[in-house]
Amino acid sequence: MAEILRLENINYSYIDGGYERQILKDLSYTFEEGRFYTILGPSGSGKTTLLSIIAGLDSQKSGKIYFEGKDIDEIGLYKYRRNDISIVFQQFNLISYLTAAENVMLAMSETDNKIPDDRKEVAYNLLERFGIVRSKADRMVNQLSGGEQQRVAIARSLASNVNLIFADEPTGNLDTATEIEIINIFKELAHDFGKTIIVVTHSDAVSEMSDQRVLLKDGKLTDY
Amino acid sequence: MNFINRAFKNVTRRLSKTILLTLTFFLIGNLVIVGLGISKASESAKILTRQKMRAVVTYMLDYDKIWQYADTIEDEDELNKFYEDYPRIKLEDVTAFLADERVKTANALSTNMWYSDHENSLDFVHLNNEAEKNMDSNGQACWMLEDGTQQCEDYKEPMFLARSNMFPSMIEFEDGDYEVTQGRFYNQSEINNADFVCLISENLAAANGLSIGDTIRLASNYNSPFMKEMGVTEEDITSEFEIIGIYDHHHPITPDNSNYDYCYPYENPDNMILMPTTTVYAANLTLNQKNFDYYAAMYAGQEGWEYYDDESNRPSMENMEKNNYIDNVVLLLSDPLEVDKFADDYKDSLGQFARLDLNNDEFNKLAKPLDTLSMYANFIVRLVVINAIVIITLVTALTLKNREYEIGVLLSVGASKFKVVAQFFVELALVAILGFTLSVVSGSLIARRIGNTVLEYQITASDLEEGYSYRDDDYFSIWETDYTEDISMEDLISEYEVTVSPALIAEIYVLGLGIVLISVIIPSFMIMRYNPKKILMNQN
Repeated sequence: MAEILRLENINYSYIDGGYERQILKDLSYTFEEGRFYTILGPSGSGKTTLLSIIAGLDSQKSGKIYFEGKDIDEIGLYKYRRNDISIVFQQFNLISYLTAAENVMLAMSETDNKIPDDRKEVAYNLLERFGIVRSKADRMVNQLSGGEQQRVAIARSLASNVNLIFADEPTGNLDTATEIEIINIFKELAHDFGKTIIVVTHSDAVSEMSDQRVLLKDGKLTDY
Repeated sequence: MNFINRAFKNVTRRLSKTILLTLTFFLIGNLVIVGLGISKASESAKILTRQKMRAVVTYMLDYDKIWQYADTIEDEDELNKFYEDYPRIKLEDVTAFLADERVKTANALSTNMWYSDHENSLDFVHLNNEAEKNMDSNGQACWMLEDGTQQCEDYKEPMFLARSNMFPSMIEFEDGDYEVTQGRFYNQSEINNADFVCLISENLAAANGLSIGDTIRLASNYNSPFMKEMGVTEEDITSEFEIIGIYDHHHPITPDNSNYDYCYPYENPDNMILMPTTTVYAANLTLNQKNFDYYAAMYAGQEGWEYYDDESNRPSMENMEKNNYIDNVVLLLSDPLEVDKFADDYKDSLGQFARLDLNNDEFNKLAKPLDTLSMYANFIVRLVVINAIVIITLVTALTLKNREYEIGVLLSVGASKFKVVAQFFVELALVAILGFTLSVVSGSLIARRIGNTVLEYQITASDLEEGYSYRDDDYFSIWETDYTEDISMEDLISEYEVTVSPALIAEIYVLGLGIVLISVIIPSFMIMRYNPKKILMNQN
């Protein structure tokens, strides 16, 4: 399979109590298209830091990240976030004064990718695909359950028509049944729609359902 | 779902916050409208009143400066020389003013009393009042000679008044006070050539059956025994003038005038004859030359009479400007509102001893309560604007903390920080427009009420509540050439009306948006420092 994201010699550290803490050490790894990855690791291993770096929310101290062969620093982090990736968070990160459909449309309004003109209809269809019917799609997001909100967040991540989706503990606040439901959605996105899904999790249940488990330990990524 | 849509939805769906902010802008709007409304009304009242006044500027000698300068001269000869060449208004300066397109005309007027010729060929317009009855009393004018003896002459009242100008028009005609009903006014060529032309009033023309092209004979003086002693003949003082214009004036003297019975014929405006100043000078030239020759012969070589030893002082058409002293010229401008700027434009190019008097001292005095009102109103507006900026800035900055999460989400989907700031601006602008729109209605009512109350207080405090008028309308005077308008406090107050005009509304909206724009600056810096990773990861 073709590579979608390549990490080369990524280093990241920060000063903590006067001492430099090295989180990522010459980390290199390649993610391929159409696969569902889970990144595992003990607490404090730097999973979230790694996710924020490869999602363009933060910058590494050294090393290169290539998206579809292009250095993301050259693409520009704003543009990279806008057009090439999307992120699903544990807390869903939906905007409370917008409806579910409007939250989905939010991603469409920012991306430069080609989106059909009838954006509201696209939003309804995306939400319906994840079990949010139209009557619920027009509700304010805080009137939806946690599982529904996470499905809205996943629908939003697809709205900008990107191929690489990151998720940080996406099922952390959900019950087991909903967790399985969400993971199945990720698998479907990877296998049926060719999306690359990279999920940071500490849940074995989630990682066991992924195509590739990757362990972050001592600042390096290794297949697990 | 662009930033404008998001802003609109935020405003419409977070109603409690929107209502509170709208209320804030509503209160700010009311205060601003009150301040601006009163300030504009004050300015507008001044402008409208000023527009009603004549746009006259007097170009005159500055006697304070002349005296101050003279005091600095210690050498007596130098001081005498200064007085011999006493400062004067030069015609070339006035000609330069007239070249300015803002100047309509200039009055450098002279008045002389005239007589009919010795055959009384021209009759004056009669008022049939007490003064005319006393004219035939064969009165005498007497004075004491150096040797203590009294000398008397028969005294004859003049009948006409020659009003002459150095320029080919008069303010009275430009302003419509006088009107040429037949013929024309004298022109520059006739002034330069000292042609014997004149304009007479309609009533004088009717009383003597005169029309354009006719001539009248007038004597510049009554040929007294003393003048006969100087060798002056009737022919020397009598001149023939061609009537080139007949005019009407709008100031008839009537029995209603308090001084009607004391007006002599030459004080009746019907008996006023208009002619160039050069013509008057030419008509008196022979008389003045004989007068000069008489004294030159009598006091030749005597100390104190050196003036008559200098032949260049003998009156002639060439030294007319020297002998025809002018100390002020009144300029009429086309726009009363241009008066201040006109004076400002010329303040540095005036002669050392000249100044421009704007004739607006009375206006400025009466306008003082309005100025005070305007000053306080503007102060309130500034205070409110500064407070509004501080309050809105604080509210926005505090709101940011609650909206960090939303900002993080927007940044994570690739929205630029500029768009985030723009959304905040639009949200505040929408609320501001709503608040200001509501305040336009209430603000105009409040402004009118407060404006009138404060103005009344100001007038009372200034002790100007009584209408001030410096002219007794019942009193008539041909000598008075006061070009300033009679204005009163009532004139100013009648123009004072607090209204909320479309222009003011536009100004309030612009000001409101300005407040919002400035209020967003500090929160914008805060947003620029936001890091989406920190926000979102902290949330998680």
